[in-house]
Amino acid sequence: MLRIALPTGRILKDAERFLAAAGLPPAENLSQTRKLMVPSQCGRVEYLLVKPVDSPLYVEQGVAELGVSGKDVLMELAPDILEPLDLGFARCRMVVAGRPEIRRSLDNTLSPVRVATKYPRVARLHFEKSGVPSVILKLSGSVEIGAVLGLSHYIVDIVETGTTLRENGLVVHEEVAQCSARLVVNRAAFYSHLSEIGAILDAFKSALEKAHA
Amino acid sequence: MPQARTTNARDLAFVPGTELVFGPQAARRRQVSDTIARVSRGWGFTDIILPSFDDRRTFEGGDAHDADLYRFMDREGRWLTLRADFTLIAAKALAVELRREPRTIRASYEGRVFRFQPSGHGARVEQSQRGLEWVNAPGTTFDAATLCIAGECLSALGLHDAVLVIGHAAFIGAALGEKGRGDRALLEALDHKNPARIHELAKRRGLDATRTELLARLPGLCGGPEVIALARTIAPEPEAAAALDELEALARTLRESGASLNVLYDLGEVRQFSYYSGMMFKVYHHGVGEELGGGGRYDRLFDRYGLDVPAIGFGFDLARLTEALPRTEVHGAASVASATAGQGAQGLKSLLEARGRGEQAILAGGA
Repeated sequence: MLRIALPTGRILKDAERFLAAAGLPPAENLSQTRKLMVPSQCGRVEYLLVKPVDSPLYVEQGVAELGVSGKDVLMELAPDILEPLDLGFARCRMVVAGRPEIRRSLDNTLSPVRVATKYPRVARLHFEKSGVPSVILKLSGSVEIGAVLGLSHYIVDIVETGTTLRENGLVVHEEVAQCSARLVVNRAAFYSHLSEIGAILDAFKSALEKAHA
Repeated sequence: MPQARTTNARDLAFVPGTELVFGPQAARRRQVSDTIARVSRGWGFTDIILPSFDDRRTFEGGDAHDADLYRFMDREGRWLTLRADFTLIAAKALAVELRREPRTIRASYEGRVFRFQPSGHGARVEQSQRGLEWVNAPGTTFDAATLCIAGECLSALGLHDAVLVIGHAAFIGAALGEKGRGDRALLEALDHKNPARIHELAKRRGLDATRTELLARLPGLCGGPEVIALARTIAPEPEAAAALDELEALARTLRESGASLNVLYDLGEVRQFSYYSGMMFKVYHHGVGEELGGGGRYDRLFDRYGLDVPAIGFGFDLARLTEALPRTEVHGAASVASATAGQGAQGLKSLLEARGRGEQAILAGGA
């Protein structure tokens, strides 16, 4: 039986709806159960409920053959896995945000910008690519406060609607990437279970086409 | 036994990712290595012992990123690089040999390669490998034989479920086109079999519709020999067609020779694109997430030493092979003689006699 790692948290409800549309509904309501492993109704796959940041690791290490993971997490962890399908839900943007006037005040300065973020790797690579020296401050949540109270010049974070930024007086300065939920696959499993994983990929693809139609 | 005195715990820490194997795990590793060595000898390969470090130019052009090499300067101010790849340094060593006398060489090696990896995620900065290089070995029969040797190593280890995943460097080169070959982001998207990202990059790079369509379909070109025919319909250029001819001939040779190999074709494989020029392959087993080894044909690698020599080879990752092995007991010696240090010369004498009979001799402390 193939195992699929699913991230708990904001993606789970959408994922559950998507799995039902793809003909692989879980045997129990995933958002309500306290179980960590739940089979699908058809018994073809088993779902593992894991923390969003852990999902790619389960797949990379082969504990789960497949997984669902937000692109933001994949960008941060850069796991060595396959990413064959954009599942389209849980869309958001990874952005550089800060107070509106901050960009001007940073002109003509060579001292590094301070960046607060939950995504230190993404932030470091982004500022490296732009040639801007940076000091990355790793936070675990509420990163907006960092920019509001002057802990950092910028934050790098995901935004969905932008309400949190607006309510805290912050604006988007740059977009780093478009994010959404992705289907990820373990490399060895992809080859060892080629036809079974192919069948799941096809089911997911047709669910996506139906959703777009 | 004396108790350990208190010490600074940091004195006991090793650099993350370096290899430290001991006890039963080391015995299993030894068994794996011996098995591959036995199969290699069975196909006429002899050992080559290679330098652990060399001039930095030796390791240029491999698949390791420049920043991941371990470099140091010796007392004469020469920049040296710790061995990051066996094929590159074996090619140099064998070029010396070939300039003296052109001939077919079968060389097998074992040792460690060193590449920096950021810590975390089970990163390994040194990896033990055992593999072989077959030099002056042109054409399909050598391709097929190389796969057979790799397959024999796997079955000798009891890894009957392992899959050999075959791709072709010239096919992927043709599919990528002149511009795509050096495009790191595009190669990464193909490596992750991510069609959405391939489309996005193709659009950004201004690639034409035919090229974009071809690239986006590469991740799907994986399966039995039928994908070779499928690839023909989407990649008609002569360069790609020639590569597909080679793969078809290989599939035929494998079939007609009666080789029983667990083979898949993955024409979207871009991983070891660096110095390979023809057929290339990787080995996977469901018990281990990442590849157990791989290899391929590198007909242009000797150009840098002024030689035109077709060659092929492969290497296995010994740690991952050991991890994939079924958890069987490693059997010790059949009969064991023991003595204690307290027995002095008499005890030692009995052990020497036991060794004379080929038994295992264990000298223990105490009376």
